[in-house]
Amino acid sequence: MELPKLVDALFRENGALARSITEQIHKLAPIVSKKLDRERIKIMNFCGSHEWVTTHYGLRALMPETIELIPGPGCPVCVTPSSDVENVIKLALEGYTVYTFGDVFKLPTVKHYKQDEVGSLAAARASGADVRIVYSFIDAVEDAKRTGKPSVFFGIGFETTAPSYAVLFEKGKVPKNLLFYSSLKLTAPAAEFAVRLHRSKGLVPVSGVIGPGHVSSIIGAISWDFFPKEYGIPAVVTGFEPIDVLAGVLKILQDLYTGEVTYTNLEYRRVVKYRGNEFAQAEINRVFKPVDAIWRGIGTIPKSGLDLREEYSAYNAREQLGIKERPWDYDLPPGCRCNEVTLGIAYPTDCPLFMKACTPARPWGPCMVSMEGACAVWARFGSTERITRIVSEVR
Amino acid sequence: MCWAVPAKVVAIVSDVVAEVDLGGGTIKKVAIGVDNVKPGDYVMVHAGVIIEKLTKEGVIENLKFIAEEIRRTEEIMGKSEEEARRAADEFFREALKILEG
Ligand code: SF4
Repeated sequence: MELPKLVDALFRENGALARSITEQIHKLAPIVSKKLDRERIKIMNFCGSHEWVTTHYGLRALMPETIELIPGPGCPVCVTPSSDVENVIKLALEGYTVYTFGDVFKLPTVKHYKQDEVGSLAAARASGADVRIVYSFIDAVEDAKRTGKPSVFFGIGFETTAPSYAVLFEKGKVPKNLLFYSSLKLTAPAAEFAVRLHRSKGLVPVSGVIGPGHVSSIIGAISWDFFPKEYGIPAVVTGFEPIDVLAGVLKILQDLYTGEVTYTNLEYRRVVKYRGNEFAQAEINRVFKPVDAIWRGIGTIPKSGLDLREEYSAYNAREQLGIKERPWDYDLPPGCRCNEVTLGIAYPTDCPLFMKACTPARPWGPCMVSMEGACAVWARFGSTERITRIVSEVR
Repeated sequence: MCWAVPAKVVAIVSDVVAEVDLGGGTIKKVAIGVDNVKPGDYVMVHAGVIIEKLTKEGVIENLKFIAEEIRRTEEIMGKSEEEARRAADEFFREALKILEG
């Protein structure tokens, strides 16, 4: 059997192991609650894909009632500020060819153009602009070379996407007619922001963090050490199969029980190294520099974004086209609680618009757009609220 | 866009580009984001870039992590050292059987 299939058999289609880890979680949870005198143990994931696994496989329904799994800010489409999308729409309407990933295409903006008709890149294309969906930056590079037209790539994503841009810039493969509009974000500052917010608002504090697996393949599990070291919060980097996430929850409970919270646990060893992918880190550092960045609905988080270094300013869309960063202004559509959802303060079902005015077919807010947006995930696979209730009634 | 998928490297096209098989015969050109990649390697591909390799040794390390976790919980639950180790070993043996299968 091929390796990826074996991985599925071990970490996905492995009911016996899922059962035994779940049993261990059920045994440990009450002891941990008692020891820490904490009624609820809140565990935050960072990654939209972890939220997907948790919801898709109904992992919340497998948890003891005391354990709460909450989504975090790890969906780049959800946190891309409206102003960035608006700037790119404007460029498309001015005649630039705009390249974008599929899930950014429908992202709704606050400000609209063309007598209120254009409020997304999709709408810009419908009104005649040249907006092209690509699978990757390479596809945009090749297409821009072919057309020779003035073009802009809308560069969103986290540390996982950054190398796809960096290697092509670093090796001089990007044609001069393709400018880069960076909306790249860094994960750790936002995760720290979310955890601090829970503390400062007097909410149930976050007791454990499930670190993003693929982001950590680049930045390393080491990048999450500030949680155990500075906050005393256990962190574990896990993979994206149900067994991985269950093993992560169990590890957090063990750490809470023993109080041995010193460094980040690395479960996702089949892909991630403790220090990460140093080759990719070097490429990113050569091409990009950390900058303050706006997170949608949240505001500016210091040094939480990446933009091209001076050496690459000939490609920097903001600099070349004189686009001035506006100070952040609240940028969610009326009634949307996407910011609270991404910070783990509210569940999608707490939003009165969920599955009413806001659905995957007609997203009103940004968390309903991408496959990794918590609202879109809950819309597709159900909130597990009902099944959790049924399971607890049966128990 | 944040979905990473396993793929097999089919060919190295240039210093920055490789061709990978995403399964079912879907071949894609992707950027090379790792050191030392060669045809036949399994890799994780994310938004058109190879972010890491997926190796059998890594899978075994991953299983060891879970085995150790099982052992620890059994110990915390009051099982003897011997019993806890046996539970972990049993899991590990079963897992290896799948992996070798
Ligand atoms: S359901 Fe829609 S409107 Fe409500 S928080 Fe989610 S994205 Fe925003």
